[in-house]
Amino acid sequence: MPKLIKDGAIIDNQYEWLQDIDSTTNEKSIVAAQKWLSEKDTIGKVAGIWLDAGDGTDILEGIDLNQFNVIGINFPAFADGRGFSYARLLRERFDYQGEVRALGGFIPDQLGYLLRVGFNSFQFAEDVDLEKALLLHKPFSVAYQGDVADPRPIFLRR
Amino acid sequence: MYQYDAIDQQLVEERVAQFRDQTRRYLNKELSEQEFLPLRLQNGLYVQRYAPMLRIAIPYGMLSSVQLRKLADISRRYDRAYGHFSTRQNLQLNWPKLEDVPDILAELTEVEMHAVQTSGNCIRNTTTDQYAGVISDEVVDPRPYCELIRQWSTFHPEFAFLPRKFKIAVNATESADRAATQVHDIGLHIKKNDAGEIGFKVIVGGGLGRTPMVGVTISEFVPREDLLTYLDAIIRVYNQQGRRDNKYKARIKILVKALGIEEFRRRVDAEWAHLRGKESTVPMSEFERLASFFTAPAYQTLSDQPTELSSKLAESAGFARWYERNTFEHKQAGYRIVTLTLKKAGQAPGDATADQMEKAADLADRFSFGELRVSHEQNLVLADVRQDQLIELWDAAKEAGFATPTLGLLTDMICCPGGDFCALANAKSIPIAAQIQDTFNDLDYLYDLGNIDLNISGCMNACGHHHVGNIGILGVDKKGEEFYQVSIGGASGHDASIGKILGPSFAQEEISSVIQKLMQVYVDNRSEEERFIDTFRRIGIAAFKEAAYAKTN
Repeated sequence: MPKLIKDGAIIDNQYEWLQDIDSTTNEKSIVAAQKWLSEKDTIGKVAGIWLDAGDGTDILEGIDLNQFNVIGINFPAFADGRGFSYARLLRERFDYQGEVRALGGFIPDQLGYLLRVGFNSFQFAEDVDLEKALLLHKPFSVAYQGDVADPRPIFLRR
Repeated sequence: MYQYDAIDQQLVEERVAQFRDQTRRYLNKELSEQEFLPLRLQNGLYVQRYAPMLRIAIPYGMLSSVQLRKLADISRRYDRAYGHFSTRQNLQLNWPKLEDVPDILAELTEVEMHAVQTSGNCIRNTTTDQYAGVISDEVVDPRPYCELIRQWSTFHPEFAFLPRKFKIAVNATESADRAATQVHDIGLHIKKNDAGEIGFKVIVGGGLGRTPMVGVTISEFVPREDLLTYLDAIIRVYNQQGRRDNKYKARIKILVKALGIEEFRRRVDAEWAHLRGKESTVPMSEFERLASFFTAPAYQTLSDQPTELSSKLAESAGFARWYERNTFEHKQAGYRIVTLTLKKAGQAPGDATADQMEKAADLADRFSFGELRVSHEQNLVLADVRQDQLIELWDAAKEAGFATPTLGLLTDMICCPGGDFCALANAKSIPIAAQIQDTFNDLDYLYDLGNIDLNISGCMNACGHHHVGNIGILGVDKKGEEFYQVSIGGASGHDASIGKILGPSFAQEEISSVIQKLMQVYVDNRSEEERFIDTFRRIGIAAFKEAAYAKTN
């Protein structure tokens, strides 16, 4: 079973990221948000949904997100930083408490920033050495801005 | 000047350790070229034509003599004993070795410096007026606000991978805009409202490059406590909605233009509604803390125009010239702001040797409380010089090659490193600057021509700000040969405008004579006291065009 990093540990991946919109879904599937939205009355139980870059989070307005175990966010390329805003919005605006999983082309060196905007699990590309990635699994020990872990900027903490 | 506390220091040290590890993994081939690229760029490291280039931040242009000596020392031990001051208040080293860069960064932390976010698609070094804090007509000193923005933008977790680079500049005076704020992604003008409260007029979507644009006002007044939430709102909209499919259309200016300012403002306001008043609202105590670092130095009680100054002005035309051009009125009686120009003929504009950096540091210690500033025009500034010490300073500055009395004149050019160094350039720019220096070497003539901004870029990326030069020169590649396109009528101040292209490009050897012809049109047409840019705006491009392309009989 493929592995991932979740909450700072390497664990078995329980869910399947369904990238193909025509795949059949089950309770282990992470389904494209657009697909789930258009089929939500019939699709049945899924593990969660995933947002693609460009989807934005507005499409989730009015949905009870805490019905999902996981919300994935896809990085089509590691330099495409839209997902950083999406994760933060899920945590801060939608108050989503479940797993926020990074998917796609992000790289281990981005972990510090990814953690700060609210990701807590990381499904890396297959060639990434998770043991090595784990060494990068921490932000700097100090930060100027508020973030998902602590919304207070440095001027409220100095 | 701002002083690091333990938190600031820890952060830059952790950054060095992180970059050391990234460099090690890259050299071990654990990180691919493609993965290392944005990581090194976010630390100011480019790979250039012959060697890497390291861009060191000089936040809002403030530099202590200790820091400048360290830069000189670093340039001597790790590079070829010189550096290039850029238009955005950075210092570039052109020949460091990649494997030495972590050590260079570690040495920088010893003097509270870094190269964080001096490149890459992130929020870059915040710039401001080189006369900040020492001129009488500014609303307030912009530097505490610049430091606030520096901290907010440093390792901002959400905005490290924007569609494209993002530059912020701050201005605090009505009388001039020395930071070219209107051609920045965000330009901030500090102002007071009718109630006397401090805030910012916010301009968005300016920028140079392939599609030069002057920014537009998105808000007339954002109260200062709301500055960071407002900036977060703007950049969050841009991060999600800016184009990522084409790097030439990825700057915020393209998004603002595509949506129109009303729609863009509506989206920003919708985002801001969620953020305003939250934790990032800046408390008064923080403004006070930051302001406490930028208090006035121990000025003496002196009066303006001491007798030794008046008599020297009367007897030495050379001194009078330098005084008139290279010094500026100070808010404190008996003091003067002095620019040490880095525009000596025979030296690339903005370049300083290690010896010059050390001399400038010595001059700062002797004459200006040990502090300097770096200007957008690529010069150094001593902000607090006693008027009765100007003669002594002038003598010392001449000796070090800092006293070319041409500040603001045609030969006070802005110039990028160009094809001599830069891998992006289409053409060389330094030889063009040298050619113009050589041709326009008559000071009387230069003075007669008066204030003219001449800006040179070696390619469309416009590091030399050619679009906003009264005269702009752009290097272009024509079938493998270097040619130069000339534009005219640009300006970067409060009256910012984008220059108009004169016509077909010229060969390298033609440039000086073209500039001479343009000057002749100006001299023939100007009314008394009229600046070049004003004559151009009055008579239009036709006469200049005709002269530039006229066949010689």
